[in-house]
Amino acid sequence: MFGDSWIALVGERLPELWLRTGEHLMLTGVSTGMAVLVGIPLGICAARIRWLRNPVTGAVGILQTIPSLAMLSILLTLMHKIGATPAIIALTLYALLPIVRNTLTGMETVPPAVLEAARGMGMTPRQRLWLVEIPLSTPVIVAGIRTAAVVGVGIATLSAFIGAGGLGQFINRGLALSNTDLILLGAIPAALLALLVDGTIAALEWGLRRKRYSGSRFKVALDRCLRPVALSMPVVLIAAGCVAYFSSSMSPYNPFWGTRVADRGTLRIGTKNFTEQLILGELMAQLIGARTDLRVVRRFNLGGTMICHGALKSGGIDVYAEYTGTALTAILEQPVIADPDRAYEVVSREYRRRFAARWLRRFGFNNTYAITIREADAVASNLQTVSDLVPIARTLRAGFTAEFSERPDGYPGLRRTYGLQFRQVRDLDPALMYQAIATEEVDVICAFATDGRIAALDLQPLSDDRGFFPAYDAAPVVRSEVLDSHPELRQVLGLLGDVLDDATMQRLNFEVDGKKRQPREVARELLESHGLLRKEK
Amino acid sequence: MIAYKAVCKSFDGGRYYAVNNVSFAVQAGETLVLLGSSGSGKTTLLKLTNRLLEPDEGIIELDGQDISRQDPISLRRRIGYVFQGIGLFPHMTIEANVAMVPRLLGWSRSTQREKTNQLLRMVGLSPDSYARRYPEELSGGQQQRVAVARALAADPEYLLMDEPFGALDALTRDMLQQEFLSLKKRLNKTIVFVTHDIFEALALGDRIAILHAGRLEQIGTKQEVVGNPATDFVRDLFGKAAQQLAAYGGML
Repeated sequence: MFGDSWIALVGERLPELWLRTGEHLMLTGVSTGMAVLVGIPLGICAARIRWLRNPVTGAVGILQTIPSLAMLSILLTLMHKIGATPAIIALTLYALLPIVRNTLTGMETVPPAVLEAARGMGMTPRQRLWLVEIPLSTPVIVAGIRTAAVVGVGIATLSAFIGAGGLGQFINRGLALSNTDLILLGAIPAALLALLVDGTIAALEWGLRRKRYSGSRFKVALDRCLRPVALSMPVVLIAAGCVAYFSSSMSPYNPFWGTRVADRGTLRIGTKNFTEQLILGELMAQLIGARTDLRVVRRFNLGGTMICHGALKSGGIDVYAEYTGTALTAILEQPVIADPDRAYEVVSREYRRRFAARWLRRFGFNNTYAITIREADAVASNLQTVSDLVPIARTLRAGFTAEFSERPDGYPGLRRTYGLQFRQVRDLDPALMYQAIATEEVDVICAFATDGRIAALDLQPLSDDRGFFPAYDAAPVVRSEVLDSHPELRQVLGLLGDVLDDATMQRLNFEVDGKKRQPREVARELLESHGLLRKEK
Repeated sequence: MIAYKAVCKSFDGGRYYAVNNVSFAVQAGETLVLLGSSGSGKTTLLKLTNRLLEPDEGIIELDGQDISRQDPISLRRRIGYVFQGIGLFPHMTIEANVAMVPRLLGWSRSTQREKTNQLLRMVGLSPDSYARRYPEELSGGQQQRVAVARALAADPEYLLMDEPFGALDALTRDMLQQEFLSLKKRLNKTIVFVTHDIFEALALGDRIAILHAGRLEQIGTKQEVVGNPATDFVRDLFGKAAQQLAAYGGML
């Protein structure tokens, strides 16, 4: 796991690692800071005003039970925005519970005798708060902040799903590409960061704690020296995060930049979170970079169709690659159309009308779903079509992507059309799905027809003999506003239609999934081999 | 002078009165002991005196002024209070604890320090070794001395003491009682001292007020209350104590 290759990868990615760590600290730091500003006063109010106590603790408790990804998606929909802002809000909401609860607990554990003494000697309520209650609750409150920050570092890895950057981006890309080294490149620094943040706040807590003066002279002197060091640690950490972050604030990766509506010369390209999308994203990005004056910003690896679509509608991204079948059924919620050209016409018309977005020329391949089994099983049981699967389906375990399990053009429709009933159906991440069938943890998956892993893992797609799956012709979808101000995009992106087809796409996918190469390289190779990166104007 | 005029206080809306129609006066410069068992209303009466509690009926006057018309915050700063649970601030040094009321009153730092050192010496704690320590580093008796110093810090005319020596061992208590007697001679404060300990009451009080179930049974010098009990309750109270004392005497 920690071979030379991993160390080499760390070396190679050091600048980006630096930036992502900075982003990660920023996400965690800003959200924890906001939670402190909101949570401590909230906790104090709840402790002071009796009837407020249960509603407040109940509300922050409920926030905590919302699954992280669901929370991110909800905020995305509510705010019509991708990037750091919704991520920070989500992280802040999560950080509230430990802070509010510990503030409340801290205030309630102040001994009644001490409080009465404070009152009896003539302190005003405000003086009691600042001179007695807050100082005495500080250790408990700081412990709450500590919990919030450490949990925050963990949850912040998920915010990469909505394009907020951070170390989670490595993890996401690693998952999308089935690349363990890349996953570790995000996971290990994230774990170290959690320890560092924990240690830093612990040091702060130690620095704030009252010290006895009755110890040995040496100990007292040591305490005096270490205290300023301990107290300044959080400042050092925050400063390090800011330096890492702002030293590359011009970076095209910067999530704060990306959330603004595109300025004149910038084009933000989004992708979903699987290999083919990343390759298509790179193809579009490199082509536009080479053949136009636009500055390209990559907002890759967004957490799925609905997130990409939401981002396109709200202007968080300008272009991404979508599939006709997906657009028709999952987004427009219309019935399946068998004829590919007719489907393309319908989605083009509807997108223009409803979402102010245009479909450009199709790339020229059809990435339909393919019900896929291991080649060995296909040979052994002589299975060629989906219909062949029906009689033995009750003995088989299926692993589908979460999207497929829910989409009308996915498992629900498939079950109706063929009468399929599997013994078990599990929702799996796209990358894990392939691993799961290779390691025989599931027997059937919903592969993508152009996926390189079909060949790499000796899998066998079954033919869709009842013609259930619609065409999934891929094409760039662009916001109308952007296309109007940059009409050259139509011609430039149209070039890809000349170089891609089913076989090519499958090969490119295999280069990445099978041979573990970078989507960026694979895309450049293809474009160069067709001479498309030379600038001609 | 503190005057209680027909003071009533109930905690359950009038079903039971913790303090029931109590009237008496504490003369300037005297130490009045409120003696009673737990639930007799003595602590309640003390808390009414600096408006930690408000009476349901009746008036309390300080030097002829109705305290309900005074600002409770400045009233409390004028009255020293030694609390039943000691109530030192655990996060502050001994120095900061003692100097709290002067600090609230806005005294200068040097005056605060001077006063603190003087008071610590007065209660028998050397400022050099104790001023910068924290309460948890002190014994119970030492903490109680600090609490007395704290109550005296702003030179209050009045001192309210709520079973200040109740939680101490017998030897320490005896020592502090002796110190209290010499202290009160020097200070000449008006003191209301709450206790349930008959011998403490007899030892420390110029006069004793006996409370029972919220009512004032009798108020007078120790000769009066012991020699001429006004009620059966007072007679029994001191009678039992005398019997016990006689029994112990027989054992020795």
